[in-house]
Amino acid sequence: MATAAPSLSFPRDIFAALSPSPFLLAHLSPDSPSTNPSRPNGRAPFEFRKPTINTGSLSHCSGSAVVRLGDTAVVCGVRGELLLASNIPNPPVLPTNLNSDREDDAENDASELSSLSLLVPNIELANGASPAHLPGSPPSTLAQSLTSRIRALLYSTQLLRARDLRIIYTPPPSEASGDDEPSEKEVKAYWALYIDIMFISLDGNALDVAWAAVVAALRDTLLPSAWWDEDAQNILCSPSVSDARSLRLRGLPMAVTFAVFKPTELLSEGEQDEENEEEKAWVLSDPDAFEEGLCKEVVTVVVDGSGGKRRMRRIEKRGGGVVGREVMKGLVRRADERWREWSQIDGLKA
Amino acid sequence: MTDRRRTNAPSGGTSAPVFVYPVKGADSLASQRPTRTRAPDELRKIFLKTGLVPSASGSAYLELSPPSAPPSKTLRPSRTSLKLTCAVHGPKPLPRSAPFSPHLILSTTVKFAPFATRARRGYIRDSTERDLGVHLETALRGVVLGERWPKSGVEVIVTVIEGEEDGWWGDSIVGGSSGAGGGGWGLMSVLAGAITVASAAIADAGIDCVDLVSGGVAAVVRDVDPKGKGNTEEGLQEGESLVLDPCPAEHKEMVAACVVGYLAGRDEITEVWMKGEAGGASDVLLDKAVYAAVASVSVVKEAVRESVEQKYKDVLGGGKGVFRGPQVPKEVEMTG
Repeated sequence: MATAAPSLSFPRDIFAALSPSPFLLAHLSPDSPSTNPSRPNGRAPFEFRKPTINTGSLSHCSGSAVVRLGDTAVVCGVRGELLLASNIPNPPVLPTNLNSDREDDAENDASELSSLSLLVPNIELANGASPAHLPGSPPSTLAQSLTSRIRALLYSTQLLRARDLRIIYTPPPSEASGDDEPSEKEVKAYWALYIDIMFISLDGNALDVAWAAVVAALRDTLLPSAWWDEDAQNILCSPSVSDARSLRLRGLPMAVTFAVFKPTELLSEGEQDEENEEEKAWVLSDPDAFEEGLCKEVVTVVVDGSGGKRRMRRIEKRGGGVVGREVMKGLVRRADERWREWSQIDGLKA
Repeated sequence: MTDRRRTNAPSGGTSAPVFVYPVKGADSLASQRPTRTRAPDELRKIFLKTGLVPSASGSAYLELSPPSAPPSKTLRPSRTSLKLTCAVHGPKPLPRSAPFSPHLILSTTVKFAPFATRARRGYIRDSTERDLGVHLETALRGVVLGERWPKSGVEVIVTVIEGEEDGWWGDSIVGGSSGAGGGGWGLMSVLAGAITVASAAIADAGIDCVDLVSGGVAAVVRDVDPKGKGNTEEGLQEGESLVLDPCPAEHKEMVAACVVGYLAGRDEITEVWMKGEAGGASDVLLDKAVYAAVASVSVVKEAVRESVEQKYKDVLGGGKGVFRGPQVPKEVEMTG
């Protein structure tokens, strides 16, 4: 197509819309070896967009965050509501020491939270964030898959402590039972956290931004101090900010997404005439919506480098076979570097 | 009922936290009610910005900020700020299945975010949200020159990120009232804001309009201590006053309120919604709502002018073409 017209007669955005794959390819393969390849959005293949985070701007939430990454913007609000223990159909078996805070409780915590489904994340895309998701229909496949991935991450990273969400009641020592035995503590209620994620604008890399918003909002969350009132037979809360406490999260896991652009599979058959040409593929960090539409293979790495330890929390890869062992190693390293960038931003800083 | 497409709440059901207050009597609590510090005919500051959703043909964000208050010591906000976003998608061809339409079909959606109000909202649009959508459509339909886009449709989507409250949270304890209309006063400000933000977004989308429409609210309120605030207009009863852009939390009782969608350039009203018992003052109330709309249209004009300057910067500056989206440093030659 381009051979017919050596001089470009279309504006670039029309060209991008008409033949997106050659457009991206032309950007990534520079004419001379001296110039560095760059993407249509002006970034180098391994360049990420710079995030900004703003927390605590919503007044009706226990915690909230607005995260912007280029043209993708997300609002996340966390709201705590009470789940009475008497309303739980099958209460989980609780550890003997309710105030225990050891690190190896993480797994028990996660199973306690998930069996009660105390974390309720939901993603709303159908509010005009992108033309592909218009209101008036049930959540799209993308929204459902994002919701389920965020939920899986919340439980598998063991971010939250069950102790922070329990409301414990110690009955006063009754006179009949004698005074030497301390009365049994019991969990009267739990905080259920509604985590609502709303996309204001969607331009690719939805998971990274949504996850960063969730983590920032949870870090911002203040739950009021609550106690069981025997007379009212209900949980009461103190309205004072000084009594409220924040959640103590375990670590700071961050998701980093890469997309793999492999042009040959997208070109029509007639254009694959040069068999001997080596297959080329580019790994693009932090893809935008245009690039996401052209990339089949996507890799998401969730890393946590907090506390001096570098841990990998999750790897997700689908849709192709370009990324092998060696490439993956490089991606994990890049994810680790990106984690450091995230952890330096206001709102996620330790 | 479970929704298989979303994460569901715990099966036991949850309840909003119940807060207790120190037993110092209702008087000390009543003193915590926010008061209106601006003049009766003064609007809250409006922040309006267009073009925040690049993939939409037009978009705008509106925020009504309350006067700066010291950081709150309680977890219950006494004042909230209205935050709205609006995205306009289209005009685009109607689907083949749709019947022929000689003009542009406008569909408006107003949706509250689950965290927008004091009580948590559901995910599916409820009747209030649908009602607001219809009001917004009425306000906009007369403004857009629909004949220029036959067989097309445009979506106007307003998302309420933070809504206006129907009253102060302490009202239920110290006894204030939501007034004659049975509550829902916050919706009036939300509608006025939605009209203003949608107008800016439609202008940003470049859809031809007869004029810029804007929303305005005025209300008849009864205050705790009237002390001569507000101008005593004819038709008002003892202790009542008229205010522009009311914030329901700041007043003891809302008596009546009125929203208009107003075309300042043509002196036309596209939408009126009056609520409560204004009695003989309903004409004055309507006039005041128009004043409020005139005041807010100046903000829309400014925002639209900025967006046009931004969009046609290249053309105005002698550049080559208009490319909405990230600016790139160099052109890439397309070969082979």
